[in-house]
Amino acid sequence: MLPRRSRLSVLIFLLPPVALYCIAVLFPILQSLFLSFFSWDGISDLQFIGLDNYVHMFTGDVVFWRSFANAIGYLVICLVLQLGGGLIVASLLTTLRRGREVVKTLYLLPAVISTVAIAFLFQRIYSVDPVGLLNQVLQWVGLGGLARPWLSDVNTVLAAVSVPEGWRFTGLYVLIIYAALIAVPAELEEAARLDGANAWTVFTKIRFPYIRPVWITTVIMATTYALRGFDIPYLLTNGGPGQSSELLTTYMYKTAFTSTNYGYASTISVFIVVECLVAVGLIVVLLRRKADA
Amino acid sequence: MTSVTTAPRSTPMTPRRRRKPFSVSRSINSLLIVVIVIVQVYPLAWLFLTSVRTEHDFTTGDPFALPTSFTLDNYARAFGTGNLGLNILNSLIVTMGANVLIVFLGMMAAYALQVLGFRFSRLVRGAFLIGIIVPVQIALVPLFIDYSSVDLLDTYQSMIIPLAGFSLPMSVYLFSSFFEYIPRETYEAASLDGAGPYRIFGQITFPLSVNTIVTVVLVNSIFIWNDFIFANTFVLSDGLKTIPLGLQNYIGAMGKIDWTATFAAVCVTITPLLLVFLILNRGMRYGLESGATKG
Repeated sequence: MLPRRSRLSVLIFLLPPVALYCIAVLFPILQSLFLSFFSWDGISDLQFIGLDNYVHMFTGDVVFWRSFANAIGYLVICLVLQLGGGLIVASLLTTLRRGREVVKTLYLLPAVISTVAIAFLFQRIYSVDPVGLLNQVLQWVGLGGLARPWLSDVNTVLAAVSVPEGWRFTGLYVLIIYAALIAVPAELEEAARLDGANAWTVFTKIRFPYIRPVWITTVIMATTYALRGFDIPYLLTNGGPGQSSELLTTYMYKTAFTSTNYGYASTISVFIVVECLVAVGLIVVLLRRKADA
Repeated sequence: MTSVTTAPRSTPMTPRRRRKPFSVSRSINSLLIVVIVIVQVYPLAWLFLTSVRTEHDFTTGDPFALPTSFTLDNYARAFGTGNLGLNILNSLIVTMGANVLIVFLGMMAAYALQVLGFRFSRLVRGAFLIGIIVPVQIALVPLFIDYSSVDLLDTYQSMIIPLAGFSLPMSVYLFSSFFEYIPRETYEAASLDGAGPYRIFGQITFPLSVNTIVTVVLVNSIFIWNDFIFANTFVLSDGLKTIPLGLQNYIGAMGKIDWTATFAAVCVTITPLLLVFLILNRGMRYGLESGATKG
């Protein structure tokens, strides 16, 4: 603490940022909570309906549950691609002698590109006519039978909208995990190898435990990012066909701005906030406990 | 997000690791890396290749083939139909506006939290954590309602406020962790010379923070430049559309999608940020890494 500070100076420095933060982030959360108890179309008067929105959401809304299940699927695909992929590439990268910087830079490129551009790109990758990159590759390797319009097939559309999101941020996790991996002391690994440990044992017994704190952070990051996934599904399929790629976020958006049902949209928002807090809490509790065991 | 201990970044490779003359597994690994990188980056290269193809080539040819002819017509059409110049200008205004807020407000909050210190600082830090965890979409409905009641819909501010607000927590954390490294003695000496908290902020903390400012700006610019959801929700008039919205319009504007021209437009809009990234990629990567590990 500075010796010559006054309460006033603290307030002067603290108030402007806190004001912006409250206007943009905290008040909207509270406002959503408030609106979730009302029925409102934005024009007529607010109508207090108590917990009706919540009751409807949990017991009567098939689309809500469908979106929730899709959001979980989306989350799983993103986690596998970003964290699984990130860990594999980062580990491979540590064995590379030259060109590590180039690989990291190239890998991060997609993260710099806007979601709209990515949506355009993947629309062409998945396309059938003219034949897109994916279907072309399938034909080359003799799996032409699998070629399909990936975005209009109800069985593949969820995976098809999740993959671009996973792809785009993998480089970020490669970067973070790699930085953690090269900080593992070489003596530890060397000693284990001398004792006859193979690469897999070195990884599971030394490397991974060592990077666990960073791993927890990346799991939290990837999870919260995946739960806010919106742009790519919205732009590629707008939740369709039917509800087969609807996420909670796109469902909330449509409820608010297409059906102008602000009350119910806020109820879904509240659910999303709770879902994120619970997810982060679970990750911290589960991964910490394993670390202690 | 909690007290994660940061491993020292960018440690030079330990020389102790013995150099082996040749190893099969190492070569396989290198080969794997090359394949993975190609798969990762090829879609982007393809984007640029497609933007110089003729339409005929695009619709009939093998998508992996190199363009049979080189044409810049697509770029001419992209500039002719859309409002690319205006979109880029709007994106610049929003990105700069939001960055100014993020840097100054983030620095002020970090200064109050880390340097001045006060009783409820832990509470304020915790409140900032919420902004990192919750998805931005929850602010859409409330802000839309608030904006329409104070006539802020369809303005630059309507995009800048939430973009700055949601980026503020990370900025506060980055500045806080940097301020930790400024030795206490510096402040004490300045205090003894009679400098108050404002002069110390202006003459010591701010000038020392230039590197961190660059990091914060670089990292946030990616997200702000590419923002789609706030712009899509709050902006209606063509004159205010940022790049992501402008791109989206290509579908509508041309009725049947003119893919090669759309790809040319995509290339035009992603190039500025790609160039900045390639030139400053060390700084940007440092920011992304420390943003993650400090959080």
